[in-house]
Amino acid sequence: MNARALARSPVMPAAADVEANVAVSVRNVDVVFGEGESAVTALSGVSVDIAAGSLVTMLGPSGCGKSTLLRAIADLVPVSAGEITVLGRSPEEARRERNFSFVFQDATLLPWRSALDNVRLPLEVGGGGAAHAEPRELLELVGLKGREKALPAELSGGMRQRVAIARALVSRPKILLMDEPFGALDEITRDKLNEELLRIWRETGTTIMFVTHSIPEAAFLGQQVLVLASHPGRVKELVTVDLPAQRRLAMRDTLDFVQITAHLRRLLEEC
Amino acid sequence: MADIAHRSAAPVQHGLFGLTDRFRDKLPAAFAVVGLIAAWQFVVWAFSVPTYMAPGPLDVLRSFRDDGWTLLSNFWPTLFEAMLGFVFGNLIAILLAVWFVHNRTAERAFYPIAVFMHTIPIIAVAPILVLIFGSGYLPKVIIAALICFFPTLVNMVRGLKAVTPATLDLMRVLSASKSEIFWKVRIQSSLPFLFAALKIASTTCVIGAIVAEWIGSNFGLGALIIEATYNFRSPLLYATVFVAALLAVVLFSIVSVAEARLIKWKASDVH
Repeated sequence: MNARALARSPVMPAAADVEANVAVSVRNVDVVFGEGESAVTALSGVSVDIAAGSLVTMLGPSGCGKSTLLRAIADLVPVSAGEITVLGRSPEEARRERNFSFVFQDATLLPWRSALDNVRLPLEVGGGGAAHAEPRELLELVGLKGREKALPAELSGGMRQRVAIARALVSRPKILLMDEPFGALDEITRDKLNEELLRIWRETGTTIMFVTHSIPEAAFLGQQVLVLASHPGRVKELVTVDLPAQRRLAMRDTLDFVQITAHLRRLLEEC
Repeated sequence: MADIAHRSAAPVQHGLFGLTDRFRDKLPAAFAVVGLIAAWQFVVWAFSVPTYMAPGPLDVLRSFRDDGWTLLSNFWPTLFEAMLGFVFGNLIAILLAVWFVHNRTAERAFYPIAVFMHTIPIIAVAPILVLIFGSGYLPKVIIAALICFFPTLVNMVRGLKAVTPATLDLMRVLSASKSEIFWKVRIQSSLPFLFAALKIASTTCVIGAIVAEWIGSNFGLGALIIEATYNFRSPLLYATVFVAALLAVVLFSIVSVAEARLIKWKASDVH
């Protein structure tokens, strides 16, 4: 890995070109859990390019490996075959460089730390803290101004997930990987957070990959929806969502939106 | 004890109303205690129970006045042994738990031995230690330490391991080192488990010291209990038991106050 990175570094234009256009590149990736007879193929021959600055949602039936794909990109799951590059680097290098952040389904806040101290966590570990955003400003960005000192137990589920998003943004990542972050929230809170995520995406210009099992959520958030099929997990189709960039919740009642969700639902039924 | 438990359950009690509320909460317990003592005095008086068999509360009070100095001079050694035993027993248990969590082989090798040692009744071990270490302070401190050791070891191992997989994923994405995970996550999440064990140890270390003093000792509350029993000085015996109980309650309260100061969050509230 190091040798390749060194070999590439003198050729600046090519590296810069890659970084400018493709944030995440997945090439013929297999992920197999276990060995021998008990081996389970979670992903098989997955290839996809995620354009820098885009918001791509990942949709599929349970067991299709959408979370596994996200975790492989985040260097949480090893790849059995194929290659993943994140900003032209291996996932491990990208992780060490803090090129991406991860938001989990559970907020995974440390319960003994205040909201502000939870946002600061990435700056205190793993050699982070070089270039970073101001934690207080991030809490303001996610709408938690005034709750800096609150412990996670004193916050609602939605607020905890907001803190988790602020924490993910503190190291100024180029890519935000989100694994069903709003899956455990009620619909009203989820709608609100969906709108706010779009606002944050516009304001920060971060590339976002967002796993969900909700068809409307996938269509509402995504510029593109990556539909995965299951057993084994593979790419069904990369659907481009033909809606204006400025999305409003009311848009979900329009015919255009319903046609998109209907198309996604048909794709899922074929899986 | 009840007071401490109550406060840790509902820490937000401010102002005059909070104070009167707390006073009102305690009233039934106070009445019950006074009532039981009165009943005790009445039974002793009504059935003319001989003092050597069961002294009344007034006899015990008189003993506090007459033998106060004897009680006090025997109180200090027991306090000293119990506290030293508490410190060393828990310290060794905590360090061993840290080692076990970092070294699976060590855990597999020594954990069964620790369990086996725990099954030997402390009263059976006491004479052996007295034979080896004589009748000074050392065997008492060792026995007090031994009795604290096991619950703390078990709880601390559990506490250090009580980190959710999602939190470990988060720390991995942040490229946190093992020692960072230990200091930032494991130690903190083990504290509620540790204090549960320390509260047990705060009372059992007194038991350990007293049991050790029963066997070959001429000082301490344990020795005083034996002496008072053989000489039929029942009021003194009761007074000694009362002092021993008071010692345990004071140690328990100190640990509980420390717990309330250190842990302002509850483990079960947040995932």
